[in-house]
Amino acid sequence: MDFRLTADQSALVEAVDKLAAQFQAKPTDFRGFALPGHDLDKELDDGQYYDIAQVPELGSLCAAMAVERLARLPYATEYALSMLVRPQLPGEWPRPLAAVDNGRPGRFVAAARTLLVIEGDRIGLVRPDAGDLEPVESLFAYPMGRWKGGAKLTPLSRDEAANVRKWLRVALACETSGLSHAAIASAVDHLTQRKQFGRPLGAFQALRHRMAECAVLAGGVRWLALKAADTADPGDAALAALHAQESATRMVYDLHQMLGAMGMTLEHPLHLWTYRMKALLSELGGRGRQALAVAEECFGTAPATLNAVPSAAPERAPQ
Amino acid sequence: MHFAWDPEQQSFRSTVRAFLAAHLPSDWESLAHGPASEAQSAFSKRFCGQLAQAGLLVPHWPTRWGGRGAGAWTAFILAEEMWEAGEPRGGQYMNVNWIGPTLMRYGSEEQQARYIPPMARGETIWCQGFSEPEAGSDLASLRTRAEKHGSSYRISGQKIWTSYAQHAATCFLLARTAPGRDGISVFLVPMDTPGIIVREIPSLIGEGDIHEVFWDDVEVPGNALLGAEGQAWEIARAALSLERVGIPRFALATRMLHRAVSMLERAGRFGYGAIEQAARARAACEAARFYSYSIVDQREHGIPTGPEASAARFATVMAERAVHEFVVEHVPEALSGGEAMLLAHHQRAIVAGIASGAAEIQLNLIATDLLKLPREPR
Repeated sequence: MDFRLTADQSALVEAVDKLAAQFQAKPTDFRGFALPGHDLDKELDDGQYYDIAQVPELGSLCAAMAVERLARLPYATEYALSMLVRPQLPGEWPRPLAAVDNGRPGRFVAAARTLLVIEGDRIGLVRPDAGDLEPVESLFAYPMGRWKGGAKLTPLSRDEAANVRKWLRVALACETSGLSHAAIASAVDHLTQRKQFGRPLGAFQALRHRMAECAVLAGGVRWLALKAADTADPGDAALAALHAQESATRMVYDLHQMLGAMGMTLEHPLHLWTYRMKALLSELGGRGRQALAVAEECFGTAPATLNAVPSAAPERAPQ
Repeated sequence: MHFAWDPEQQSFRSTVRAFLAAHLPSDWESLAHGPASEAQSAFSKRFCGQLAQAGLLVPHWPTRWGGRGAGAWTAFILAEEMWEAGEPRGGQYMNVNWIGPTLMRYGSEEQQARYIPPMARGETIWCQGFSEPEAGSDLASLRTRAEKHGSSYRISGQKIWTSYAQHAATCFLLARTAPGRDGISVFLVPMDTPGIIVREIPSLIGEGDIHEVFWDDVEVPGNALLGAEGQAWEIARAALSLERVGIPRFALATRMLHRAVSMLERAGRFGYGAIEQAARARAACEAARFYSYSIVDQREHGIPTGPEASAARFATVMAERAVHEFVVEHVPEALSGGEAMLLAHHQRAIVAGIASGAAEIQLNLIATDLLKLPREPR
């Protein structure tokens, strides 16, 4: 156990931060729901950042650190699945990646070249035809899209699917960590500048304590996400994803309360992080499904007990 | 950065576990009910002596003081294993964690020679005279006075919520020698000094745990003063920084959560509501664990700990809350004579946000020092 960054890890974080610096601020005239980061995507691709996990000196933990840093940006780009899940897929699959979870619209689906089609415990891979994909208007601050079906599905084995699901959980936790840190920073700015009753809002204890609790939650999400990326343990991944979704539920509400009506506008960037967190809340079956995974992996609860859970039934493959 | 235990760390943990397996009696769990009870205090004194002989009481202390200069990870692995087992060291964990190290830093040679060796041998219990009826979170407003009379001091006042006072040989006492925050001093006072009266306060948290201590013109020699007059704030801050991530509460909380889940599974009562709540509590424990580890790692490498230590403490408070609320809702029989260790955990868990200072003070520190929010007006 040693939490100091190695020279390689430090260099990687420094390089990611340097690249990210030019994308820190949203364009002042942007008033949309999602801010696509095509230039960011190109920079990451040119710099071969999507292959970080495959570099022996760097590995999955560095990829997780990169995802966590990039998620702090206002721009929405598909890097999380490319960096953390794609290396786990059997064979070569082109990026961008997107998950289609039980037929629902998903993040980055409209531009994806590989789809992870999730049906209960089963996962299949698809190289979709462009004509089978369509964008969907959404409040979620990601480019959302729908797959109309059609292309041939390559099913993953049970073990391959479990592995992919594990890394989807790690990716979700890493992204939630970055999003929450950026959202908290945005709220801190507002609470520092906005004055009411003759003093900054951030000087009122009622708000300070809620912000401090958000900071504690965000820090916990970060530690669990990085740990899961390093150990690749399915229990760690389930804990990280559960804590991320649990904490995000609380943080999104509290952070919007901090900004009042300002946070309801598209002018203010807060929603670019909070509505991405909201999109992540329902993924992989939401908190309930992560809880079942924690029970299975950490408490050793028997599958018979878990299959008897009524709300789990639709998410689980027939035995 | 890596999250795997080093072989040396694993080996030390195995050594501590083997020691516990060999030295905890079969009825230990019923004994653990009430960390300051007569029965546990007597057991703890024997147990700490055995720990010391095995080199496992103060391994992180310098060799000069009976340790072997092991690092912060060793100290914390030891603390984790002890707390997870129900803290068989009783009140002596305070000696190990912060009273000994504080005396090493601020004590005179005479004070060090007098007080540290008995701690290293596991022979003595201390108590902490901080809180007063009118000075809890606002510690700087404390009123207990220490007035100089020639070469000695006379101490008058009242302390409250004092753990282990009944069995303590010495008190680490804060008293006022002058007005203001910089007028508070630390005194090391033998508890058998005439004029000290200890009364137990019956409480939810176990037999013999908290007390009020009355100081009626207690005369102590000048050499009872630790450091200089008025240095208490600095000394207390240094001591509390060791205590903030001192008790690995998440360790026992995790163990008790697993025990409660096993009980429910055996009874066929681990249904969906319980599963979801248990999983959330398990995640909260794990978050607290790694938050705390991050502080330990800073200590190991000589990096000054900042406001993240307050965040680690608050994460631990949330984990304790999640577990004890799970037990109350799903294994309520634990609080009605059903399971000694679950009951003991509950009694310790409910003070997690209060003992060592209210958790809300930590939130203030996080808001100001970590988030850099504007300060509240005073």
